[in-house]
Amino acid sequence: MKEFMMIFIGADYTDLGLSPEDLQNRMGKWFAWNDKMTKAGIVSHGDALTPQIRRISGPSRTVTDVTSAEVKEIVGGYYTVKASSFDEVQEIAQDFPDYDLGGTVEIREVMVFDQ
Amino acid sequence: MNTQLIDHLFRHHSGKMVSILVRIFGLKHLDIIEDAVQDTFIKASLSWRNQLPKNPEAWLNTAAKNRVLDIFRKLKTEQKHIPNINQGTDSIAINELFLDTEIEDAQLRMIFTACHPKLDPRDRISFALKTVSGFSTKEIATALLTKEETIKKRLSRARKTIQSSGIQFQIPRGKALTTRLESVMEVLYLIFNEGFHSNRKDTLIRKELCGEALRLVQMLLKKEHTRIPEAYALCALMCFHAARMDSKTNSTNEILDLKQQDRSLWHFPLVELGNSMMYKAVDTAEFSSYHYEAAIAAEHLKARTYEDTNWKKILHWYQCLQTLQPMPSHILTMAVICLQTKDYKLAKGYLSQIKAEDFEQRAYLYYGALADLFTATSNLKKALDNIDLALKIVNNSLEKQYLEKKRTDLVIKMKKA
Repeated sequence: MKEFMMIFIGADYTDLGLSPEDLQNRMGKWFAWNDKMTKAGIVSHGDALTPQIRRISGPSRTVTDVTSAEVKEIVGGYYTVKASSFDEVQEIAQDFPDYDLGGTVEIREVMVFDQ
Repeated sequence: MNTQLIDHLFRHHSGKMVSILVRIFGLKHLDIIEDAVQDTFIKASLSWRNQLPKNPEAWLNTAAKNRVLDIFRKLKTEQKHIPNINQGTDSIAINELFLDTEIEDAQLRMIFTACHPKLDPRDRISFALKTVSGFSTKEIATALLTKEETIKKRLSRARKTIQSSGIQFQIPRGKALTTRLESVMEVLYLIFNEGFHSNRKDTLIRKELCGEALRLVQMLLKKEHTRIPEAYALCALMCFHAARMDSKTNSTNEILDLKQQDRSLWHFPLVELGNSMMYKAVDTAEFSSYHYEAAIAAEHLKARTYEDTNWKKILHWYQCLQTLQPMPSHILTMAVICLQTKDYKLAKGYLSQIKAEDFEQRAYLYYGALADLFTATSNLKKALDNIDLALKIVNNSLEKQYLEKKRTDLVIKMKKA
């Protein structure tokens, strides 16, 4: 078994003008997805991230605070899952709830360092 | 893990929180409050993803209370005259505002604010759906078959009027209460009708509008001052109509008329609730239009089959309604009832009292009724003329199909004759 990370990229919910009803329905889909993965025993960890960004970059360590409204896409959260291949994770990622909002799932394999 | 939330929890809670916060901070901070409430739901939808809190409603209440304090701090840095809610007694007072009865009171105040006579009547519905019912502009636009831009304009106009006229966040007393209640009931009636009578195929949003209207009218009935016979009648009317909701469309979502509806799909708990509401509604010397409309709806429900319908009684209720509130559409309906009971003379009499122009874009209904009368009295040529007039102006595809079928039948009949 290998470990993969699914990284969720897209607009922040705050900037999409979703109604309370939308938010509740969307949350229901996230529940269902999480449930399914938990039951299958494949999910090991996951988090949602707040939209606040602090960037430090360059040799002079320049600090900038960025809000989600300033960037079109933002990493909103991630899950790490156990699977045997990219194809298997791709299958899992079919249930990601936010494709209709222009969301993207990026699948990355967690690197293992052999001795 | 329990992943099942109460249906519409967020939507309903949004209305509650906006109302409570407005009660604390005043209508002039409505914009900030709405944003703050929206933030609470976004936060909930993210942090509940993997694990629901044990008591979601309590979580939301606490979050809202904390938002109150956040807003308060924010406002305090901007301006001075804000009540100091950080201190003992005031913070107890705030906790009390989150009690169920106080939440209901705040929501009722919001309904009465939304229905203030100074607001444009068209703005009232949008504003109520937004602030009381927690619909987004997009959802309101979909529900009312309007552009989102239009709804945004209505909402901002309503907000401006509230600010410029200094409308108070209160339930009026005395005479003012009577007139305002009329406006409130009218708005609820219109919200319900948008859901019930609309020809749109999206049944979900239609049911939600009806459900919302029913929920709000029941809120009126909980309070002594607003518990009046008309409100009971309005509630009965909504129950009776809502009971038929599922039979109004077939499996492919086409609208069915009363004749085609499967009566076994009628929802009897709602009929019973309507009956008990009606029982309370008639405790008055004067009947309102809601009383008569409810009586008509009840009469339809009483009939086990379409053929069993007591048209005579229904006609009587329509006559009462017409006396109270004269409208060309009532006369047209009475004519159609007379066609059902084959009283062509009376039907003709009613139809001669109205003209096509009375119905604007729905004039095809008038021509359709005339066509039926001429068909029934064997004046097929005139019947065909009227069907053609109706077909020329009808734009609803279902109605059009219905009229075209009638036309085909008529042409066959004429060939035989």
